[in-house]
Amino acid sequence: MSQAKIPVDLILSKLAEDADRVRSRAHKASEVLLSDLNTHLAQTPYEVVYQEDRVKLKHYRSQVPIQYKTPLLVVYALINRETMLDLQPGRSVVERFLAQGIDLYMIDWGYPTRKDRHLGFDDHINGYMDNVVEYIRQRNDVEKINLMGICMGGTFSVIYASLYPEKVRNLVTTVTPTHFDTNKGLLHVWMKGIDVDKVVNTFGNLSADVMNLGFLMLNPARLMIDKYIGFLENADKRKFVENFVRMEKWIFDSPDLPGEVFRQFIRDCYQGNKLIQNKLDVGGRRVDLRKLTMPLLNIYGKYDHLVPPEACERLTHVVGSKDTEDVCLDTGHIGIYVSSKCQEVFAPKIAVWLKARDGKDEVNPARKGRKTKQSAVAKSTSRKRATSKAVKV
Amino acid sequence: MNEKKEDPLGIESMFSSWMKSVSTLWGDYAGFWLKPPVENQSDRKSTAGTGKDTKAAMAAALKNWQTWSQAMTTPESLASLFKGAGTMPEILTQMAQRSLGSFIDLQSKMVERVGRLGESVDAYQFEDLDENIFRVWTDIYENEFRQFFRIPQLGLTRVYQERVNHVVDHYNIFQASLAEFLRLLGMPLSRSLRVMQEKIGEIAENGTLPDDSRDYYQMWIKILEGHYMTLFQTPEYVETLSRTVNALADYSNYKDAFLEDMLSVLPVANRTEMDDLAQDVYELKKRLRMFERRSCAGASAVA
Repeated sequence: MSQAKIPVDLILSKLAEDADRVRSRAHKASEVLLSDLNTHLAQTPYEVVYQEDRVKLKHYRSQVPIQYKTPLLVVYALINRETMLDLQPGRSVVERFLAQGIDLYMIDWGYPTRKDRHLGFDDHINGYMDNVVEYIRQRNDVEKINLMGICMGGTFSVIYASLYPEKVRNLVTTVTPTHFDTNKGLLHVWMKGIDVDKVVNTFGNLSADVMNLGFLMLNPARLMIDKYIGFLENADKRKFVENFVRMEKWIFDSPDLPGEVFRQFIRDCYQGNKLIQNKLDVGGRRVDLRKLTMPLLNIYGKYDHLVPPEACERLTHVVGSKDTEDVCLDTGHIGIYVSSKCQEVFAPKIAVWLKARDGKDEVNPARKGRKTKQSAVAKSTSRKRATSKAVKV
Repeated sequence: MNEKKEDPLGIESMFSSWMKSVSTLWGDYAGFWLKPPVENQSDRKSTAGTGKDTKAAMAAALKNWQTWSQAMTTPESLASLFKGAGTMPEILTQMAQRSLGSFIDLQSKMVERVGRLGESVDAYQFEDLDENIFRVWTDIYENEFRQFFRIPQLGLTRVYQERVNHVVDHYNIFQASLAEFLRLLGMPLSRSLRVMQEKIGEIAENGTLPDDSRDYYQMWIKILEGHYMTLFQTPEYVETLSRTVNALADYSNYKDAFLEDMLSVLPVANRTEMDDLAQDVYELKKRLRMFERRSCAGASAVA
């Protein structure tokens, strides 16, 4: 039997060094944690220009002249908050859009309460979203708007653009699940076995805490252990602590999900996979993806554990538009919006893509008293379908 | 002959004698009480009103008692009574036998499991998860014990008693499912530590032990993550997760129904009533918006 060669002296001296380092770090960490920390979120100025029930429409104030004829409406998911797009100065998609001269609107879905449990896809898409789009069209005096959706908000945007193609000039989907019949993401595996009717009938809305617990359970080793070990190791660095606390604030600032939205999302999407098959009905109308004839930019993360590439990339192959592009970034679900590397790629890419497809004769026919029927296909500037490409960041 | 065989200790005859003696005793006592005592005429008058009614009631009760006791002392009634009385221990014995059988089953599974302790750990293997002790316990509870909570309740408060039983029953089911779920969640932790020990042993033998504690942590967290990723995709995990969520939903339903019963004595609206109201408001708002849109469309068409 061979004798193990264990460098005991080296290990012991290393342990002693570690102990000294930990003591010194703990001292500095206490100073940092007891000081005033800047952990504010969403600091870019905006005004609420429209409100209906709990839903608000934010219009951001740009410091530079508007360079785009078509305003951009960002639709966030009903899970977590849209503040993620404006975490802090210097790490903000909102800030970058404004710097490019985009006229930016964003929906704030608010915090649904138990009375909102009956609100489903129809109420959110044909109701709130359409009212918001109508408001922007009137306010900006334009026929069409640019629509950008995030995660579930992307799914809503796809549905909306299919139902109202005449109101959407360009569609940008980011980490948007549209094909649910895959076993690549754990959510897709778990949701297939959930008795959604029982859950919704019992609890009404889906509690934000339950959802957050579910998200943590997707990778408990990293999200419940390693993340906080990392925090302890860097608790003496002010910037790190501020960023960490800011993210914690965002992650756990979660609204409940209206019960009927959850029911329809699980039953029709995760379990029935109806959207990609053109079998989904919303408000009594069939959602036909072939009616998505406007230019489509589809961005997703290669390492997204919530919405894997398999759930996103099929969309561009089934829509009616010939001007589509897939962009796969080397990052995860949230990293697309907040990682410093992606900040350099994500917003600039969208800004350039939209600029190339900005409207020329943006006049609202309803306001001007004339009718113009414009086919998005006829107006498409690019008819080639861009191949999927991975962008290293 | 047959009667003797059925009552070798003479319990029936003892019971019959006891009934007769009790009947005689209370009959004599009542007869004595019902007889007008020798007393002052004026006193008798003053108590005549109440005493008469009480005596009449007492006489009726005595008559009932005598009739009932006579009927009970007939051989047929005694046989029925003892047959009924003998049934109770029989039920208890049956219940005990079933429970005991289940416990023996549970114990044998535990012994089997303990016997397997110390066997080598296969990394990233989560097969045969159904052989866990919590599942056995849940099965036993569902098959044996929960029947006790389903015994029909009787009387005025039967609905409320049944609700309490449902709450307790579904709480037990939820706890059993949760314990099983938590056991699954804990499994990667224990397995990763054991795999880690085996790895360290191998590395030590090769003489390549890292001297930085961070390296050990990184090694362990990767193993742990791998174990979780493997576990989370197993059908057993998905099934247990689903079962736990369903059990929680069932328990919450019964708990809420029970709490709403309690709330009904307070002058406040309960959740079901508020939900109904919210649904009415939702439908009204929807209709109102539809009319609003129609009228706007009509107005613009006219213009």
